[in-house]
Formats: sequence, structure tokens, C-alpha cells
Amino acid sequence: MEARLHGPPAIAAVGLAPHAMRRQRLGDTLFRGLTRAFAVGVLVLLGAVVLSLAAGAMPAFRKFGLDFLVSEAWNPVKDTFGALPAIYGTVLTALIAMLLAVPVAIGIAIFLTELCPPLLRRPIGMLVELLAAIPSIIYGVWGLFVVAPVLQTTLQPFLIDTLGNVPVLGALFQGPPYGLGVLTAGLILAVMVLPFIAAVTRDVFLTVPAMLRESAYGMGATTAEVVRSIVIPHSRVGIVGGVMLGLGRALGETMAVTFVIGNAHHIRASLLAPGTTISATLANEFTEAVSDIYTSSQIALGLILFVITFIVLAIANFMLWRLSTKEGA
Amino acid sequence: MTYEIQPIETPSRTRPHLIQMPAVDTPAPSPTAEAKDQAQPKVQIKDLRFYYKAYEALKGINLTLHDKCVTAFIGPSGCGKSTLLRVLNRIYELYPDQRATGEVLVDGQDILDPRQDLNLLRARIGMVFQKPTPFPMSIYDNVAFGVRLYERLGARHLDERVEEALRRAALWDEVKDKLRESGLSLSGGQQQRLCIARAIAVKPEILLLDEPASALDPISTQRIEELIADLKSDYCIVIVTHNMQQAARSSDYTAFMYLGQLVEFDTTETIFTHPKERQTEDYITGRFG
Amino acid sequence: MISIYTRRRAANFTIMSLSLLATATGLIVLFLILWSLLQHGLPALSADFFTKNTPAPGNVGGLLNAIYGSFMMTVVGTLVGAPIGILTGTFLAEFARGSRLAHAVRFINDILLSAPSIVIGLFVYEVMVVRMGHFSAWAGAATLAIILVPVVVRTTENMLTLVPASLREAAVALGAPQWKVIVMVVYRAAMQGMLTGVMLGVARIAGESAPLLFTALNNQFWSSNMNAPMANLPVVIFQFALSPYADWQLLAWGGALLITLAILALNIVARMVANWSTFGK
Repeated sequence: MEARLHGPPAIAAVGLAPHAMRRQRLGDTLFRGLTRAFAVGVLVLLGAVVLSLAAGAMPAFRKFGLDFLVSEAWNPVKDTFGALPAIYGTVLTALIAMLLAVPVAIGIAIFLTELCPPLLRRPIGMLVELLAAIPSIIYGVWGLFVVAPVLQTTLQPFLIDTLGNVPVLGALFQGPPYGLGVLTAGLILAVMVLPFIAAVTRDVFLTVPAMLRESAYGMGATTAEVVRSIVIPHSRVGIVGGVMLGLGRALGETMAVTFVIGNAHHIRASLLAPGTTISATLANEFTEAVSDIYTSSQIALGLILFVITFIVLAIANFMLWRLSTKEGA
Repeated sequence: MTYEIQPIETPSRTRPHLIQMPAVDTPAPSPTAEAKDQAQPKVQIKDLRFYYKAYEALKGINLTLHDKCVTAFIGPSGCGKSTLLRVLNRIYELYPDQRATGEVLVDGQDILDPRQDLNLLRARIGMVFQKPTPFPMSIYDNVAFGVRLYERLGARHLDERVEEALRRAALWDEVKDKLRESGLSLSGGQQQRLCIARAIAVKPEILLLDEPASALDPISTQRIEELIADLKSDYCIVIVTHNMQQAARSSDYTAFMYLGQLVEFDTTETIFTHPKERQTEDYITGRFG
Repeated sequence: MISIYTRRRAANFTIMSLSLLATATGLIVLFLILWSLLQHGLPALSADFFTKNTPAPGNVGGLLNAIYGSFMMTVVGTLVGAPIGILTGTFLAEFARGSRLAHAVRFINDILLSAPSIVIGLFVYEVMVVRMGHFSAWAGAATLAIILVPVVVRTTENMLTLVPASLREAAVALGAPQWKVIVMVVYRAAMQGMLTGVMLGVARIAGESAPLLFTALNNQFWSSNMNAPMANLPVVIFQFALSPYADWQLLAWGGALLITLAILALNIVARMVANWSTFGK
């Protein structure tokens, strides 16, 4: 009887309608409440991370004060610690990585958007993304066993013999070729961050309207000129955003750096000397911390790292967000 | 460009420039006199105003929709005909910047009442959109979707309901062997008929069609029109169309709208042969729009 | 005139060659790494590798307990993190588009996406390990879940936003309540993309090492007890690679090869899912 289409509307005939109504309203409220709770949870998580790190770092800051940030000490026996070598190493390796990776990444992005034959674009793009998917511990192992020995016998002696004798700049390239050290770490980090920046930059290049490009080509501009005068200026904000995202990642990278940086808590002028970063210190020493101050100092290091990366990433995301709203994406 | 509404000068003046009523070769019967007498009012719209934020898109609409008849909304782009259609099942409630005031009485009950349950309302009023929107599920599940929401039918009854809906939508023969295939595997015209089957499977009282054939090829369009003529005997149908010939062919009543106002509402025969408003005549003869 | 044009041509050639060189460098590095992995790691992949536990130096052994541990923690982390991520992404796309809360959540989410994973490990250490009094695989899985969530939130929101409004309206017009519209229609329409996002997220957490260092720690022996330290591939690789023992180093290479192959496979499958045309013909 109810199957026939000719007849009184189903809703009037169905007795369970009030129950169905109530259940559906309840379903709506529950579902909405659940999703909202988890979304708010993301904000709560951030707050929780900051709070717990701050709480754990309190003892160290109370003992050392703000001197902690500028002290070079790191003595587990005497329980005196300072963050400066770690901060210095973190920033320096990230900077080296950026200097090396950004030009290459932009080169890859230019290739993928302007030069590459269309058929190859997807596969090569995929290969670049696969490079980004390789976990950092692999980079660390590769760096330690393959790259460092090679550098020790080739690049580093070369740098010492040539640039090491240049006045002023030479101070960066002194000392015995360990193979490990700040420069090696920066190099490995550069390889790690490279595919990431390349992918973001390529995506930003793709948002340049075809019409802009075509009008430049139509005037007889060469590809290089189109890139320099049209594509890059148009994508400026996006490129900076992408670079800063890469910087944020480089600052926080652990395994790739820990294997090859040499783990020495001091600051040296030479890039060929071993050093340390915040994440490398944590990776190597956290589980060995015997005293409370030792542990607290390390958590303080973690807090500093989190604050630095948070600021860099916030700026980066803000710039990328600005870009996407301008494009009307 | 403002356009003043002027009444036609003399009702007996011959108007050779008016379009001829097209030869009807679809089996859609013109509304006979007795059918008209039996046409019961189903929906009464009283002083309906609609706002997108602060912009008034519908300016005081008064209209009656009759049961078991087809009412067409016509008018140039932006006149508010789709907006008016979408008030009838309150689908605008999905968007917080849109609101309506006034009264819309369906069988005497005001559906704009804030206490009205929206889901229940939409189960009584079906809608088919301009672009076919099959759900990403099998053809069977598409048609059964609405039925499963509110009714507890056994498997056999559900099968029968789905078959009836597909037959009524003139789609059964084409899909009866592939009910389990995805709805997305059908052609555009078939997808639209699937959406119609989906809408009528829940046995609604009113069917709202928002330019149902505008995205389709002429053959599919013709089939849709035949379908509408067939469905008319059971539902109150409202169709928005920018195709005047379609309105003339398929509908019993026509409402001509312009810039958010209802300019003229009458039987289709009247609108297309001797419209009362100058504006209506100009639109129908293609002077603008 | 001619010389200017020649100079421009030369400049163009130089820059294009450099960009080609850059791409070649990237690809060469990729192949170098894969080659190293295969060269050093393939010899380690024996039957023992997959059936025996981590040995003391000088003994025969494999990475069975580490493989198991990584697998378990990744699975648990995904089971916890993926639903949270999907629901949060649903909130951003379906319930709160444009609201200030959505902006804030999205902003913070994107930051957490790239935040140092070792800091997340520290957080879970403070909150779980210290409270519980011991390291555990649960803590490791929790860390992985926290790292997974932002990835899934991002991809879910993007995929759900792509579903056209007309599909939602069609479901609403039939009288479906909002949660059914989302669960039965919108999710289905976005399923491919959402699945790809989850798989890419899993590929990311499968390789995470730093956060496990002080949550799950390590375990020399076989353990299936989630409430105790558990061996896992990254930490074992870390320990063995930095050791002076050749057999340990060999196992480390084998583990590195295994992780890389698994992650590359996940990536490739994820992209295949993304591109698969499912319009049932």
C-alpha cells in the first residue's frame, strides 16, 4: 500500500515521524558539538604545549635567569647550562640550509613551470615530492655514512686550502676536516628542505594568471625575462612565505642534523667545526639527564625552539594566507 | 533602466507582433475549462519579501499556486524567480545572510513560521536543480535516499517504490539492469531524470523545478517536458524557466516577474495571448530580457 | 641591436640551464640516496632480519620487535589521530566557514603542521610519561597521533570544500538533517581525497623518529605490551647507526631501507588513489 506513488503523501502516513524528527535533531546537535569540540581542542593543544613546556622550563630559568639564553656553559657535572651554543647552531645550520636550498628550489620551480615538457611535469613533480617524503632519519644515516666521509676527503680540504687563506672569510674555513660539523649539517638540511620549498614555490608560480605570462611572451620576452619580470614579482609574497615555511622546518629538524653535527657544546668561528643544535641536544641527551636541572634546562631549550619556530611559521602562514585571499582562492 | 508599468490601451486591439501559441506536439493537454474549475489553491503567498543582507530581492509578492497544475515563473535574469522558488522549501536557510518575511501558506499553514520543522517541510516539497546532482552512490540508493530518511519500508516495498519512481521519471527501462551502478555513470539527461525520480520517490505534495532542462540537450529537454506533463496530475508543480516557449507549452499558470516584483500572474493562455501589463507583453515579444 | 639580443639569448640560456641543473641535482640526490639505501641495506634483508629480535652486539639478530613496534604505534596513532583530524576538518568546512573560530583553528593548525616534532615528544613526555611514571608505546602512539592530526585536518577541509554546494542543497532539499547530509553524501563525494590525505599523513608519521625518543623509548627484547617501552625502527636505527659495531650498523641500514620502501609505497598508493577515476563504468 505504501509503495504506490499515487496516494496521500508519505509523511502524513508515517507514524514514526515525530521520533525520526527528534532523533535527527539530536544527531545534528551531537555531530556539530563533536566536531566543534575537536576543533577547539586544536587551540587547547597549542596552549597545553606551551604551558607544559613553560612549567618544565621554570626551574632552569629560575636558577640561571635570562643568562641562560646567552651562556655558553654546558656542564652536566657542575649542573650549569646555557642555551647559546644550541641556539647559535640551530640558527646557523638553518641559515646555511636556506642559502643553499632556496636558489636550487626556485630553479626547480622555474624548470617545472616553464621549461619542462608537459608530459614530464607530473612524474618529475612526483619525484620531487618523493624526495620530501623521505624521513629525516634516512638523511641522517646517509649524511653520516656517505656524505661526511666524502666531504672529509674532498670538499673540506679544498675549502681549507683555498678559502681558508682568504683574509676575514678564511676564519670560516679553518681547522681539521672532520667531515662532521656545522657545514655538513647545513648541507644535509638543505637537501631535506629543498623539495619542500620547491613544491610550495611551484604551486605559487602556477597561480600567476596565464594571461600575464602570455602578454609578456607576446612581446618577445625570453623565458628568463618573463620569470624575472612577471612571475617572480607576482609571486613575491608567496615565495617569501614558502621560504619561511622551509626555514621553520629547518629550525626544528632533528635527525638529519643530529647524525652529522658532531655534538659539541661550543661556538666556533669555523663552519667546519662541530657544533650542536637545540634538537640535536635534546635527541642526544634528554634521556640521559640525571639531575632535575639538567632535564629542566633541556625542556627550556625545547621551549625556546618552539617559540622561535612558532614566530617564523606564524609569519610564513600569514603571508601565504594573504596571498591566497588576494588571489580569491 | 527603469521601466514604468503601463496598462495596454485598448483590449480589442489586434496584436500581430505577439507570438503565436506554438503547435503542441507533445502530449501535454492544455488545461480544459473543467480542470481549471477544479484547480484548488495549494500555496498562498502573501506579501513575501526576501533579503540578501540588506538588499531587498523580492518586494512584496502575492501569489497563489494551484494543486495539480503547473505554474511557471518567467522573467529576465535577476528578476527573482529562482529566489522565489527557493523560498518555498526554505532552502535559503542554509545561508545565514538570507532571510524572508511575510507569509507562505501551504494548505493553510504558514511555512515561514520559525517553529516549522525544516526537514519535515522539505520532505513534503521536492526540488530539482538546474544542474543534475546525483549522489555518489548507486542508482538504487539515489532514489531510495529520501525514502529511507522517513519511512521504514521492507526490502520488497522499497524495491517497488524505487521502480515506481523510476518508471514515473521515464528512466526505468534504461537503468533497470544496472540499478547497482553509480548514479554518476549516467548521461546528463538521465542524471536529471534520476534527480526527478529521487524527488518524487518520497511522494511529495509539491515539486519545485529550477530550470530543470537548461543544462540539457534538446532531446532530453523534450523528455523532461513530457515528464512534467505526466506528473502534473498528481503534484502541484512550480517551474522556473527562462525559456518562454517552454513555459507556454508546459504550464497552466504563469507568473511574470521583473526586478523582484510580480508584474503579472494569470493563466498561461491569458499571459501569452492578451497580457494585461505592457511590460509583460514587451518581455514575451522579446523586446527585452 | 644584435648584440643586445644575443646577450638576452645568452642570459636566457644560462638561467634555463641553471634551472635544469637544479632539477637534475634534486633528482640525482634522490637516486643517490635510494642507491645508498639499496647498496648498504639490501644485504641486511635476510630471513633473520624479519624473524629475530634486536641482538646484542656480535650476535645474530633482526629487527622483528622494532618492525612490530613501529607498526603498532603507527596503527594506533592513526586510529586515534585520523578521526580527530577528519572531524575537525569537517567542522572547519561544514559548520563554521568564515567564522573567527575557524580562522583561528586553521591558523594554529597550519603552525602545528610544521612545528618541530621533537617538541611534541617533549610535551607528551611531560604529560604522559612523567604522569605514568614510565615510557610506553601508548605515549609513542599519542605523539604520532598529535603529529598526524594537523595533516588530516588540512586535507579533509580542502577536500570537503571542493564538494559543490548543489550536492549539499540536493540532499537538504530531500529533508535530510545536516549530519546525514555530511556523513552520507558529502563524505562519500570527498572520500577519495580524504583517504589520500590520511595515507600521506600516515607516510609522514611512519618515519618520525625524534618524538619517539623519549616517549616510547626503546626495548631490546620482544614486547607487545603497549604500556611499556617498545622497540621501533627509527630509534633502533638511531642507536645502531651511531654505534661502533659493524653488525649493528648493517641492521641500521636494513631498517632504513625498510622504512623508506614502506613510505615510498604509501606515497605512491596514495597518489594512485587520488587519481583513480571511480565513476563506476
